[in-house]
Amino acid sequence: MSNDVVIRADRLSKRFGTLTVFEDVSIEVKKREVVAIIGPSGAGKSTFIRCINYLHTFNQGTLEILGHTIVGGHNHPSKDVLQDIRTRVGMVFQTFNLFPHLNVIENITLAPVEVKKVPRAQANARAMELLEMVGLPHKAEMYPKRLSGGEQQRVAICRALAMEPEVMLFDEPTSMLDPELVGEVLAAIRRLAKEGMTMVLVTHEMQFAKEVADTVVIMADHGVVEKGPAREVLESPRTERAQSFLHRVLNPEEVPDPLEQEVLPIGGRR
Amino acid sequence: MQTLWSAWMQYLPLLLRGTAMTVELTAAALVVGVLFGFLLALGRLSRVPALDTLATGYVEVVRAIPVLIILFITYYGFAELGLVLSGITAAVVSLGGFYATQYGEIFRGAILGIDRGQTEAATALGLTSAQTMRRVVLPQAFFTILPPATNQLSNLIKDTSLVFTISVADLMYQANSALSVNFLPMDMLLEAGVIYFIFYLIIAKVLGRWEVSVQRRRN
Ligand SMILES: Nc1ncnc2c1ncn2[C@@H]1O[C@H](COP(=O)(O)OP(=O)(O)OP(=O)(O)O)[C@@H](O)[C@H]1O
Ligand SMILES: [Mg+2]
Repeated sequence: MSNDVVIRADRLSKRFGTLTVFEDVSIEVKKREVVAIIGPSGAGKSTFIRCINYLHTFNQGTLEILGHTIVGGHNHPSKDVLQDIRTRVGMVFQTFNLFPHLNVIENITLAPVEVKKVPRAQANARAMELLEMVGLPHKAEMYPKRLSGGEQQRVAICRALAMEPEVMLFDEPTSMLDPELVGEVLAAIRRLAKEGMTMVLVTHEMQFAKEVADTVVIMADHGVVEKGPAREVLESPRTERAQSFLHRVLNPEEVPDPLEQEVLPIGGRR
Repeated sequence: MQTLWSAWMQYLPLLLRGTAMTVELTAAALVVGVLFGFLLALGRLSRVPALDTLATGYVEVVRAIPVLIILFITYYGFAELGLVLSGITAAVVSLGGFYATQYGEIFRGAILGIDRGQTEAATALGLTSAQTMRRVVLPQAFFTILPPATNQLSNLIKDTSLVFTISVADLMYQANSALSVNFLPMDMLLEAGVIYFIFYLIIAKVLGRWEVSVQRRRN
């Protein structure tokens, strides 16, 4: 693995029982690179990004990450390897998943204190720095349920960053948010990109992908249908599947109602 | 009225001595029941089939047997097999062993009720499964666990009275021995009943306070 490749997934395949979620997915993420994964619902984007930090196992292929190699379908990697990967890879979820019994600062300091044994005072200080970065220092003592979705997601980003990760994974970080709250979360991610954080980002925000991503990967029909430089893929996709997907996303009002096409007239004859 | 009151007062010290035993038995059986119950819950949630089967089998069988039979098996049955236990040990083992099935199911249900996103988030942060259990899952399960656990504790307190049948000198035993001397069964049994009730009331109050204070802290 060349030195600045942080993640290399080589022909990963994932099945749930008999359901094939994706097959032969290969991507490479270099240091400081931002890779956006887009594609229709059910394409396996979430499942794939969860394989990167091994929240999901995979059935075939090889995943090289931060100097570790995991081969699909074989024995699980050891606890130490997984721990090393997970402490160095941060993840932000669609549903935030903040810990409701802990306040904001406790959410952020839990992992550094428990896992890395960072002294409490130091962890608190770092948490406050991070909260300031996302504009939420005044919410430090609040519990998650008192925060708006956008605030919760910004706290979740701080929680991941508190482990000082080398890579950040985002799984549709804004798709559960009211439209007016999306911007504040995107701003935090944009800022990370500017600071040179290596990131993999599953998103439905095409404009944002075009702006922050270096590389765009389109997943559909159980695999990668197109990948390349962000602008190229998004503005002039080469494959038909990518074109039709992008056309639908960019012109949602033109997508026909499937019911109108399928419904038979009363009596069952056309 | 005068004589009644004096009988209650006269035998109060004896009954309180029995109460001390009842409290100790309750505490010891509770500790055994909670710890063993937690292990049973982990067993039933385990991905190792043998552990799951073992824990499930234990729970299904033991919880269906009357506590008195379990107590007699532990005290008389085990002795027949050469394992002679003192009355107190047999009481703690059988009550703890029985209530472990109750607490185990309470824990299991509460753990299953925690959103998967919570454990995923903790895992993604690098927490071990033990840390995840201790810092993320159990604190959230607290409110699901406490009410049914308090309920079971009231059953446990009442079931400790069964130990008088193997001559452990608990509250019931002392009430029984008093009434066989003074021939005032109504008074002695009522007095014991009142003490059981007060014991439960105190515990329920304390646990209720605990619940409220944790709730307040998290709001
Ligand atoms: N734990 C699971 N068990 C069984 N099937 C699953 C599981 N998780 C996901 N799937 C299935 O795998 C497929 C891909 O799901 P996934 O969530 O990865 O898609 P996605 O691309 O992230 O979609 P979306 O854009 O809606 O988030 C779906 O058909 C889903 O039903
Ligand atoms: Mg998804």
